[in-house]
Amino acid sequence: MSAAASTGSYALRLFWLAVVFALPCLFILLPMLAFLIYGFWHVEGADIVRSFSFKSYLDFLGNEAYVAVFFRTLALAAKVMVINLVLGYPVALFISSIEGRMRYYLILALIVPLLMSYIIKIYAMRAILGSKGLLNQALLFLGVLDRPSDLFLFNMNAVLITMAVIMLPFMILPIFMALERIPKSLTDAAADLGATPWQRFRDITLPMSLPGAVVGGMFCFVLALGDFLAPELVGGTQGFTFGRAIFSQFGMAFNWPLGAAMSVVLLIVALAVIAAAGRIANPRWQRA
Amino acid sequence: MTRTAKIMLGVLSACVFTALYLPIFMVALMSFFRLRRGRIQWDSFSFDWYTDLFRNQQIIDALLNTLVVGFFAVLIALVIATLLAFHMHRHPGRTSAGLQFVIFLPFLLPPIITGLSLLVYFREIGFGRGLIAVIVGHSIFVLALVYRTILNRLQTLSRSLIEASQDLGATRWQTFRYVLFPHLRMAVVTAALLAFALSFDETIITLFLVGDTSTLPIRLYAMMRVGFTPEINALVTLILLFSAGLTLIIARFVGGSEGQLGLK
Repeated sequence: MSAAASTGSYALRLFWLAVVFALPCLFILLPMLAFLIYGFWHVEGADIVRSFSFKSYLDFLGNEAYVAVFFRTLALAAKVMVINLVLGYPVALFISSIEGRMRYYLILALIVPLLMSYIIKIYAMRAILGSKGLLNQALLFLGVLDRPSDLFLFNMNAVLITMAVIMLPFMILPIFMALERIPKSLTDAAADLGATPWQRFRDITLPMSLPGAVVGGMFCFVLALGDFLAPELVGGTQGFTFGRAIFSQFGMAFNWPLGAAMSVVLLIVALAVIAAAGRIANPRWQRA
Repeated sequence: MTRTAKIMLGVLSACVFTALYLPIFMVALMSFFRLRRGRIQWDSFSFDWYTDLFRNQQIIDALLNTLVVGFFAVLIALVIATLLAFHMHRHPGRTSAGLQFVIFLPFLLPPIITGLSLLVYFREIGFGRGLIAVIVGHSIFVLALVYRTILNRLQTLSRSLIEASQDLGATRWQTFRYVLFPHLRMAVVTAALLAFALSFDETIITLFLVGDTSTLPIRLYAMMRVGFTPEINALVTLILLFSAGLTLIIARFVGGSEGQLGLK
C-alpha cells in the first residue's frame, strides 16, 4: 500500500513519484556525475577550462610527489588493517565466548564510540600522544624511555596509531557477527568426534569467521585511505596523505579538476577493495 | 576454549577497551582540572572551563547551527526515505533496485567523495555554500540508513492486515494512518535518532559545504588547528556525553534484549 496511491488521483501519484525519484537523482546522481566530469576538465592559470581532456589525470600521474603520497597512503591503510586484524580478532573471539549481560555491555561499549564524533576522537588521541601525553608518561614510568619522546605526534606513527584505535570497532563488530553465525552444533559435533579445542578453532571457527574479518578489513582500509582529518590534525607536515593532497586542491592549491581526478583514483581503489571484499566475504557455500 | 586461552583473550580485550576509552576519559578529566608541567593538579577542581564555554558566542552559534541542520536533515530524510520505502515495497523491480543503489552511494563511498561531488555540483548550478547546502549534504548522507530501517520494518508487516483493513472499508489514508503508521512508529523514531546522531557529528561533508558559517564539529576543527585551549576539553566532554546518551537510547530502541543487538 503506497502512500503515493493514497489519494487515488493520477496527477498526485505522479507528483509523489517525481519526489521519490527527483531528489536522489538531483542531489546524489547529478553531483556524482558533475564530479566525474570535473576530473576531465583542467586548470589554466586561475581558470577552469571546461573542455574534455585527460590533462588533470596526466598532471597527477606526472607529479612524482603525489604518486609517492598515493602509495604511502595505500601502505598506511594496509598497516591500519593488519594491526586491527591482529588486535580485533582476539577481542571478537573473547566477546563471543562469554555469555549473559556482560556480552551485551561489551558490544554496546564498541558501538558507543562508533557514534562519537570522529574529530573528538582524534582530539582525545592527540592529547594522549603528545610529548607530555599519557603514552609518554607511561613509557617513562615503565623505563622504556628515559626522556619524553616526540615520536608519537605530528608524524606518520601518530596517524597510524590514531586511525588504528579509532577504527577498531569497525574491525571487531563484523568479526563478532560472523562468529555469532557459526552454529554451535558444528563445534559440538567436532568435540564429540574428539577434536581438541585448537583443532576446533583452526578447522571450524577460524575459516567460518573469515568473511567477517574480510568485511572489517575492508572498512578499515577504505576509511583509512580517504581520511584527511586524522592526518591533518595529528600528522603534522610529515603525515601527509592522499586525502590531504586531495583536500588541498580545494583549498590553497585551488585546482578543483586535479582534486576531482585524484578523488576518482581514490574512488576506483575504494570500489575495487569493496568489490573484492564482497566476493571473498560471500563465498559460494554461504550464498542462499 | 581452554581456560588459559580465555584468560589471555580477556587480558588482550581489556587492553583494547582501555585504548578505546582512556583517551576519552582523559579529556573529560582535563575539563575539570588544571595542568602544571604535564601533571594534573588534583586540588584545582572547577567548572571554570564550562562557564567559559557558555559565554563563548561562537560556540553557541555553532551549536544552534548544528541543531538546525540536524533537525531539517532528519526531517527531509524521513519524508523521502518513507516514500522510497513504500515505493520499493510496492514496486520491487529493476528501476527500484537502481534507485536503491543510488541512495546507498553517499553512505558507502568515502565521505570526501560525497562532500566533493556536492561542492562542485553546487558551484556549477550557482548555489552558494552555507547551512542549506549542509542540510542537503546531511540529508543524502543519512538517507540510506533511514530508508533501510523503515523498509526492514515495513517488510515484517503481513499483507493480510492491510487487506483486512480494506475489507472493513477503510480508505487508503485510514489504512496508512491506523494500520501502517503505528506499525512503523518505532522504526521511524529509531531511524530519526540514529540519523540525528550521525548529522550531529558529521565533519567531512560539512567541511566542503559550510562556507563562512560553522557547525559544532567545524568549530572544533578550527579550534584544534589553532592549538589546545582548555575550553575544548569542556566542549568535547559535553558532546561526548550527548553522543553516548543518544547511542544508549538508540540501543534500547533497537535491541532491548541481548540477542537482537548482535544480529543488527
